[in-house]
Parts: sequence; structure tokens; C-alpha cells
Amino acid sequence: MLLAQLLVSGIQTGLLYALTAAGFALIFGATRIFHFAHGAAYALAGYGFVFAVRAGWSWPLAALLATVLAVGFGLFMDAFVYRPIQRHTGSFFTVFVAAFGVVIVVQSGIEIGFGRAFVAVTSSLTRASAVLPGLYLARAFWIALGAAAVLFGALGLFLARTRTGIALRALAENPDLLRAYGLSARRLSALAFALGSALAVPGAVLGAATTGLSPSVASHVMLVSLAASVVGGIGSLRGAAAGGLVLGVAENLVVSVLDTQWSEAAGFVVLFAFILFRPRGIFGAALAR
Amino acid sequence: MTAYLLNLAQLAAIFGLLAASLNVLVGYGGIFSVAHAVFFGFGAYAGAQIALNVAPDVLLVSAAGGLVAGVLSLALALPALRVRGEYFVVASLGLQMVATTAFTEAEPVTGGLGGLVGIPPPQLLGLSLASPWAFLAVCLAALFGGLAVMRLLMRGSFGRSLMALRDSESAAEAFGKNVALLKTLAVALGCAIAGVAGGLFALQMAFVNVESFTLDQSVLVLAMVIVGGAGTLAGPLVGTLLLLLLPAALSFLPGIPPTEIGAVQQAIYGLAMTLLMIFRPAGLAGRAQGKR
Repeated sequence: MLLAQLLVSGIQTGLLYALTAAGFALIFGATRIFHFAHGAAYALAGYGFVFAVRAGWSWPLAALLATVLAVGFGLFMDAFVYRPIQRHTGSFFTVFVAAFGVVIVVQSGIEIGFGRAFVAVTSSLTRASAVLPGLYLARAFWIALGAAAVLFGALGLFLARTRTGIALRALAENPDLLRAYGLSARRLSALAFALGSALAVPGAVLGAATTGLSPSVASHVMLVSLAASVVGGIGSLRGAAAGGLVLGVAENLVVSVLDTQWSEAAGFVVLFAFILFRPRGIFGAALAR
Repeated sequence: MTAYLLNLAQLAAIFGLLAASLNVLVGYGGIFSVAHAVFFGFGAYAGAQIALNVAPDVLLVSAAGGLVAGVLSLALALPALRVRGEYFVVASLGLQMVATTAFTEAEPVTGGLGGLVGIPPPQLLGLSLASPWAFLAVCLAALFGGLAVMRLLMRGSFGRSLMALRDSESAAEAFGKNVALLKTLAVALGCAIAGVAGGLFALQMAFVNVESFTLDQSVLVLAMVIVGGAGTLAGPLVGTLLLLLLPAALSFLPGIPPTEIGAVQQAIYGLAMTLLMIFRPAGLAGRAQGKR
């Protein structure tokens, strides 16, 4: 039963990774910007939530604040960091270093404001009930499952059915043609950043309510969403979702064989294997060399 | 005060060598590794083990550090041959995370979180280098020796081929350059020199633990190269001096509680990285960049 229990908690972690990674993939797919600072949106949302709950706000209001922070951060990065860089060189490494700088700033800002220790909000979400003898499910699991199902469904419909969603996909395919049709690539890329950053919020809120947050969560989430995107195939939403699940499950299952310290490393061993043997990921198209 | 300054100067020389070695990968080879602290660590652990179990001889320790790091650099060369650009950055991030865990867990070799303590004072061919001036001279010799080797190689056929590869891999391949060999050699060279720096670091600190070889350290070294100017000889040195002197300068500033200095310093160099990339992507020592 230990294995089943680990699998279940792996799925819970994996679903939240999947949502965060899908946000990253959405941004990369539409704008071709490798948004290394995506984890900072997660951290800002999580800490914003903790701050608001501690200040006595109700949970929905606090979640709203978290969303505003994440979306605001995404829009800020698009307008004031990525766009100026793309105006002059746009080499991916310049983008990477700039984004990494922002992650460091956010991380140390959080350290100054909240201290280095874990913070969390107390909740009943982690209270588990037995569904089978020996198999416990916390309420957080159902919330993660529900949030993932609703958001992925909505996102799929949005991208497939609405004019704006189709325009977002067109931006990825051919920005010039998009402009010829009179659509604003700039506004669409801002939209991609807003939506993508908002997808980090459920993970951040649930993280704050279950495992707790620490300042280094920004780089951890960044690594996880990068890894999930690579494992799934960069730029593919489905791939990022699958990759997130795979990583979450791998992190938890490895505990049954090795010490818990290895659980984070396990995800990266999976990543490394994919890079060496199948760099285009599960769903990705063949890489142009 | 003199002791403090000497200590800082030794560290500056060691980190200058480390940053210069990363510059071979990043600046000349276009191989954007965020795992350089791993090879610094391999060198430091190998050097520390030699110093503890064989002899704390500077030559022996740095040779061991360089050799171990150079051989293990294959772990970085393999993904570098398979993927480029963003994918490679992600792969090296992965390597860094796995290595950090491995350093923490492999207690028989690395001492785990506690680290390896009691590394004896350095010697050179039987002469004691316990005086900080003597060890500073050794560090500076290593720094300038390393810089001379790198300058020679980067000016020559190897460096030119490497830069051609950085600017356009397919063009370099079309000109008959052996891309796989060049990349592997560049990675091995950069990592081996990082290993030498690691060996010196172990002797300098007389103590090594995993804290010095984490992602934060990799990013710090990367920031040194980037802030100074990648692909230039002086750039990494300028960056090293700036980033090493920053915490020292900050501790003299009034109004910052001592417990927050680390965080403030991090925030400043993060901000510096971002602003530089927006306004001067070639770094402080780099040429003001036109179209590449």
C-alpha cells in the first residue's frame, strides 16, 4: 500500500507541477521566450497569499490577490525585461541571465520580508481520510485534481474555440502573417504572459496551504517547470502537463527505494535521461539542429 | 586587517581563475553551463582528499583537482553534444541539482553536510606555504598561468574554431571542423581549470563542504563572467573583483542589519545582472555591441 500512497501523493504534486509547467509552455509556445522567471511568479503568488491570509483576508480574496500578483509580474517581465532585450539582441542567453537576475531579486526580497524559514497557512486541507484500507487521500488531492481538470479543460476550449485563443496559436506559428491580419502581436504576447503566470497560482496557493513555502521555491519551481517542459516536449501544452505528472510521480516514488533527500534529484535524473536519449520530449516535434 | 585583505586577495585570485575557466565555455564556446560549481567542487573534494591522505602539496593537489574535474566533465560534454541553447541550460541545471544531492549524500568521500575538515596547510615541494603572502603568490601564479594558457589557446586555431562554432555551428561543420571534438575539448579544458581552482580553494579554506558548490555558486560565477563581459580576457576578472568586493563594501554601509547582508547582496547582483542584460548585454569590459 506504501507504493499506492506514494503514487497518489506523486499525482497530487504532479498535477500542480503540470499546471505551472503548462503556464510556462503557453508562454514559450506563443512568444518563443524562455521564461526562466516563471518560478518567481509562483513564489510571489504563494507569499502574497500567505501575507493576505495572515492579515485576516478571506481565502478567495487572498487567492485573488495572489492571481493579481502573478499576472502583474508576468506583464511586468514582458513589458520591461523581455521586450527591451528583444529590441536589441534577443539572444536567448541574454534573456536567460536577465530572467535569472529577476529570480534572484525576488528570492532575496522574500528572504528579507518573510525570513528564510518555511511559511504556511494553517488549513484542514491536509487532513486525510482513508478511501481504501491503508490508502489516505487529503482534501488537497481532490482540489488539485479539480483545479487541474477545470483549468486544462478551459484552456483547451479557449485555445481551440475562441478567436483570441486561435490568434495565440497563430502567434506561435507565424507572427508576420498574424500582423498581416491586423492583430497585435504585442497585445497577444502580453495575454500569453498574463494567462501563463495565472496558471502558476493554483500550485502556489495549494503549496502554501499544504507543504509550505520557502524563498528558494522560486528556483525550485522554475527548475521543475523547465524540466517538465523538456520532458514533455518544449512548447507543447499537453507535453508540459504530462511532463509535470511524470516528474511529480518520479519524485515521490523514488522515496520507496532511496532516502527522501534524493527525491528532488530524481526529477532531474529523468530530465537528464530525456535530454540524452530523447531531447524532443514525449510529444515534441523533431528538433531542428 | 592585513590578514583579511590577504584572504580576500587569495579568494579573488581563485575565483578569477574559476570565472576565466567558465569563460572558455560561455564566452568562447557558446556552451552556457550553469553547473560550473559542480566541477569546482569535484576539484575541491579531490584536492582535499589528496591533501588529507597523501600530501598537501600545491602541485599535487591542483593536478588531482584538474584531472578529476577534467575527466568528469564528460557528464557535461555529453548533453552539450546532444542539445544546444535553452535545452543545454536546462540540462546543466539538472546536472547541478543532481550533483548537489550527490555531494551531500556521498559522505565517505565528501563528508556530507559537515564537509571535510582539517586540511593541512599547503606546501610546495616540501617548502611550507603557511604564510598568507606565499600562498597568495601561488594563487596569483595559478591565475596568470591559467590566463596565459587560455589566451594562447583562444588566440590559436583551437580558439578560432571554437568561436566559429559558437557563432554558427552548421557553418563551422561545413568548413570541416570536428564539432564534437571541439566541444568536448572546450568543456574538458574549462572544467579542468575549474578543478585546479577547486583544489586551491580547498587548501585556502582548509575546509570544504557542499555549501560552496551549489546552484547559487554556479550562478555567482556565471554572473562574474557576464557582468564583466563574456568572451573577453579581462571581463571575468573585472566581474570577479566587483562581485567579491560587493559584500565587503556592503558591510561598511550603515543601515543594513548584518543578518540581511547576504540577501541584500544577492538582490543587488541579481538586479545588476538584469539591468546589464537590458542596457549593456556585452558586459562591462565587452565592446559596446552592434549587430552580431
